[in-house]
Amino acid sequence: MILLSPLTPIEDVLRNVLDWLHGTVGLPWAWSIVALTVIVRLLLVPLTVRQIHSMQNLQRHAPQMKEIQKKYKTDKKKQQEELMKFYRENQINPAASCLPLLAQFPVFIALYFVLREFSKHPPGGDLSWLGHHFVPDITAHANAHWSGYLLLVIYVASQLVSTMLMSSTMDKSQRIMLMVLPVVFVTFLLNFPVGLVIYWVTTNLWTVGQGLITRRLMPKPAVPEKRSSRTPPKEDEAELVAEEPSKPAPAPKPPSQPRRVKRKKKARR
Amino acid sequence: MRHALRAPAYAGMVLVQAYRWTFGVLWGGSCKYHPSCSRYALDALRQYGLLRGSVLAGWRLLRCNPWSHGGVDYAQDQRLFR
Repeated sequence: MILLSPLTPIEDVLRNVLDWLHGTVGLPWAWSIVALTVIVRLLLVPLTVRQIHSMQNLQRHAPQMKEIQKKYKTDKKKQQEELMKFYRENQINPAASCLPLLAQFPVFIALYFVLREFSKHPPGGDLSWLGHHFVPDITAHANAHWSGYLLLVIYVASQLVSTMLMSSTMDKSQRIMLMVLPVVFVTFLLNFPVGLVIYWVTTNLWTVGQGLITRRLMPKPAVPEKRSSRTPPKEDEAELVAEEPSKPAPAPKPPSQPRRVKRKKKARR
Repeated sequence: MRHALRAPAYAGMVLVQAYRWTFGVLWGGSCKYHPSCSRYALDALRQYGLLRGSVLAGWRLLRCNPWSHGGVDYAQDQRLFR
């Protein structure tokens, strides 16, 4: 428990916000959790806006990056290294960075403890969600009622979609793990309070929505659009930003190299 | 004896591996640096022990934010501890 003491301020803040959402704003407890999740994600939006900019930059340089990927197709390690060098040279901020992800981690743990405290000493007020027949008690374990199982199904679905949206540059084994892991996690989540599952579902749905909006905001590369009705609109959505080989931009090869060779020859003489 | 002294570092590495197999995969597993933050943490722990390795890994995590540019960055190239 000593290890978790740094979380106490976060817990206090979360608890205060929860109480405020319930007491002052007048939301039921379950909706207070949803609102709290949305607030946390809203606070993270400035970070994601930065990421949108860098993703636009990434898209602009996609053809050259594709070339690098092709050049080092056999050596994955060298390929990644070259890509990273390319990012740096072109001031590209790769969309994923570890810190914003980790920012959610203590919040999630703190929220778990807040909700556990919640279930030990249930406060006054309505503890159901969307009516007593759907979720009777958000402090109960997820496996206590059929609605808990339904929420877990939604959780797995949203988890899969959100990870698919976020992870455009993944190899196959990683994708397979992504498919299996949520199922493993569900076995743990069955003993979690429903309120925590509500949080997890909300944050995943937010991620999905944000991913879709981000994709919409991305300026489409000037590809001569086919105006035929046969162009399936789905294809556009399925395409992943980083993988889009938008234009066959012929990178002008620097003429300096042959010159350097000449100089070397001169020097040898 | 040497191995016994390295036990704390190994404990840290187990924790990082646990992260890699759960949340690391779940969160997309991509980092703007090469090697990734968790890989860097494993290298740092192995080469510099629990305390200095943890400091290096923490510093790397702080650098892996939306305002940095990423790039190639190996644990053995660190300049914090000489």
